[in-house]
Parts: sequence; structure tokens; C-alpha cells
Amino acid sequence: MKIRTLGLQFRQGISGLWRNRIMSLVAVGSVTAVLLVLGLSLLTIININSITAYIESSVEIKAFLEEDLDTAQVETIGAKIEQMEGVREVEFETKETALEKYKEQLGDNSSLLEGLEGENNPFPSSYIVRVDDPNTIGAIADEIAVFEGVEEVQYGKDVVERLLNSTHLIRVVGTVLICILAFISIFIISNTIKLTVVARRREISIMKYIGATDGFIRLPFIIEGLLLGIIGAALASGLVAVVYNYFFVTMNSSFEGVFVMLSGYFAPFAETLYRTSFILLAVGIVIGVTGSAISLRKFLNV
Amino acid sequence: MISINNVSKIYPNGTVALNGINIEIHKGEFVFFVGSSGAGKSTLVKMLLKEENPTSGSISVDGVVINSLKRRQIPYYRRKLGVVFQDFRLLPDKTVAENIAFAMHVVEASRREIARQVPRVLSVVGLGDKANVFPGQLSGGEQQRVSLARAIVNNPSLLIADEPTGNLDPDTAWEIMKLLKEINQRGTTIIMATHARDIVNYMRQRVVTLERGRIVRDQERGGYGIED
Repeated sequence: MKIRTLGLQFRQGISGLWRNRIMSLVAVGSVTAVLLVLGLSLLTIININSITAYIESSVEIKAFLEEDLDTAQVETIGAKIEQMEGVREVEFETKETALEKYKEQLGDNSSLLEGLEGENNPFPSSYIVRVDDPNTIGAIADEIAVFEGVEEVQYGKDVVERLLNSTHLIRVVGTVLICILAFISIFIISNTIKLTVVARRREISIMKYIGATDGFIRLPFIIEGLLLGIIGAALASGLVAVVYNYFFVTMNSSFEGVFVMLSGYFAPFAETLYRTSFILLAVGIVIGVTGSAISLRKFLNV
Repeated sequence: MISINNVSKIYPNGTVALNGINIEIHKGEFVFFVGSSGAGKSTLVKMLLKEENPTSGSISVDGVVINSLKRRQIPYYRRKLGVVFQDFRLLPDKTVAENIAFAMHVVEASRREIARQVPRVLSVVGLGDKANVFPGQLSGGEQQRVSLARAIVNNPSLLIADEPTGNLDPDTAWEIMKLLKEINQRGTTIIMATHARDIVNYMRQRVVTLERGRIVRDQERGGYGIED
């Protein structure tokens, strides 16, 4: 096919969209809805995975100590932990070290933590416990948890499991929702294109007599579906970016320090959005083209 | 150029539309297919346009057996044909020139070629001054001339006209016939299905008469027939 023909076909596709603008709008809206759900699910899963990966990498128990313990009490706890069977190494982390470590993680954003030094430091001091055998980590953590002066015990596995469970749920719910919405938008797109097919029925029959190939006749409709998909994907990408950005801004302002602690584990903002948009575009194109293909199969008997 | 060998067509409902048809048409001929409706003219035309396939027998055009054409080969076969219908089949939202250019876009002609060919065929059919007019503003005869121009713009070797004068008054019909004769004299083979008795009798061309799916007469320089 020649470039110029492609240009003509492209214009034909756009004129199809314009001819049924109301239906086109509905179709674009439905594609946007699917892709919005897809995009948000993806972002959630990506971020949870990123947090999970971070936690998995540190197979250690963190025993957070209560505030207002004196040095002797802290040392007693340390000694008790060290004597436990299966414990390889115990390291004490002061409030200040915890804050410093976190500043390092934030890198360029470390200014967010300004003002948290000294009295205001929200990080508790803790013992970091490494064990000989990762399989015993649960039992050891449970034992440490009941020590006097230990506020809370965290270890990777438990959090990892909870997070993985939640991604599983998001995956299942998201997939079902996306499938239903995709089905609906494919249906709407195929109906939108059916309108164009009907409007151009006469033209198509003449084209057949003149010797137009099937591909030539189908292309404008494929382009029409493609455009519906691409426009829907562009809108969805924009909306996802807005929502994602809003989420960050709101979380930052409403939870301040606590959120900053978490955000270090989130996937990189721009790159993740960029990748997500790319996926949305691909899925949008698939939906659009599938919709027009179905329509052509049903209504365009060339 | 066209060789129709022992062709029969039985529709799924059992109707025998054609029954053992044999016709040989040479390059440059002007052939009428005549007969009352239901005689099999339109089935024959549809087969030549590759809209229908014979139940048995074979049809070859330009040495190509068209029964066995694959689906994707059909468009290329149709490019060798020009077609004119009783109802003109013009696109109402395109001008005369655009209607003709449209036929050239379909076969991916270059912009240059389109710019050269469209005025040329329009002047052949005598509508040089109507290029930018819409079909709705033209008389029936003029519309049929546009559709003739569209049919010949890609230089087909065979022109198939299915009742081209059916919707026209006698005077206009004669103009169309004159044009068809001219086109024929330039070397294009023409097959015209019709039941316009006067035209057939006047033109004195080859006449193939069909009746209930059989050829009852095939005459050089013939007339419509005595019995009807």
C-alpha cells in the first residue's frame, strides 16, 4: 500500500469517527474506563512489589524498643536476645542511626526529614537480629516480641506475606473488572464501527466492483478502531498520572513523616508512569483493533 | 477473450438459473444478453463479476479460469472489468470528478495519473464541464455517463453493462448506447444485459438470447427475437 493511499485511508478513518461523534465519545469513554482501572491496578501492584522486594532483601528481625527505657534495660534486652539459640548477630540501632539511614534512602528528598532531629525524632531505637536459619525467624521473632521493653517486632516474611496476599486480591479483582470492562468497550467499539460500515455500505459495494482489495476496504475501519483505542489510552494515561500524583501529594501532606518513611520503597515515579502509559497504549490498541475486527467480521461481508 | 463452457447454476433453493450454457466471446465484440427477467441474464452477469460461482462448468476470461480464483485474487480480476448498473451507483456526497477519482484511488493510481485521466474520461462521455457538480444535480442520463466514465477510467479490457438504459428515457438511452459503441470501437469488449428491444434491434450486434436458463439463440448482427 502506498503512503498516499494510507493518508487517504487515515482521513477516511477520522471522518468515520466524526460521523458518529456521540458513539465515538462513548467508545473512547469506555476504553478510558478500562485503562484507568488497569493503570491504577498496575501502579498499585508495581508499588507493592517494590516494597515487597525491599523487605525480602532484609531477612532480619527488627525489634523496636519502647520509648523511655534506660541504658541498663536496653542492654539487658540485647543480652537476652544474644543468648537465644539460632541468633547469629545482634546489632543495636539508635534513634539517630535510624533517622540517618532513612535520610540516606531518601537521597535527594532527605530535606523532607528536616526538623525531625533530636526531640522530634519519630524513629524508635531497635535491635536488628540476624538468625542462622531463615526458617527459624518466625519462632525467634515471636519469642522476642514478648520480652519486656520490646514494643513491636517486625520481620520480613510476615509483611511480605500480607503484601503478597493483597496484591493477589488486587490482581484477581482487577483482572475480573478489566475483563468485564474490556468486553464492554470492545462491544461499544464494534457497534460504533458498525454505524460507519452501514453509512458507507454503498461506497463499499462500489469499491468491491472496482476491484478494491479486502485490506483496502477494511483499513479505514481498523484505523477508526485504532484511533478510538489510542485516544482512550491517552486520556487514561493522563488520568492515571493525575491520580497518582494526587495520591503522592495528599499522602505527603496528610501523613508527613510516616508517609515519607514509606515512599522510599515506592517505585520511581516518572519511570513507572511512563511504563504504565506504554502498557495502557498497547492494551488500548488491542481493544480498538479487536472491536473493529469483530465489527468487520460481522457486518462487512467483503 | 471470454469462454463460458457448459455452465450451470442451481441455487440452494433448487432453482435452475442456468443450464448448460456455452458462449465464446472474442476481444472487441459487442454482445447483448437478452431475455425476460428470470431467464438467467443477471446470473450470467454476476458470474462474470465473480459475485456468483457456477455450480458446474467453467468460465475463463483472458485465459484465466475465474471459477478457481482465490478470494484475494478476485479484486485484481475485477480491475480488468468496468461495470455499469441500471441504478448508476454513484456516491452522492462526492462530486463527479471525485466519484471517478475514487475508482482510481481504489487501484492506487498516482495523483498525477488521476489528474490526467479524470478530465480525459469526462470529456469522452461529454461531461467536461460538470466535473465539480454533485450527482444529485445531474439528470439520469448524465449520471449514467458519469458511471460510464468511472467504469472506463482504469482502462478495462471488458465492460459489463447490466441494464444500463433501464432507468432512462429513450433519447437519453440512445446517447448512452452511442457512447458504449464509441467505447467498443476503441477496442473494449462490451457485454450488455438488457431487455430494451428497440435498442437491440437497432444496434445490429451479436445477440445471445436466454430463456429459462438456456441459450435459445446466438446470432451475429441479430435482433431481439421474433416470438416476443
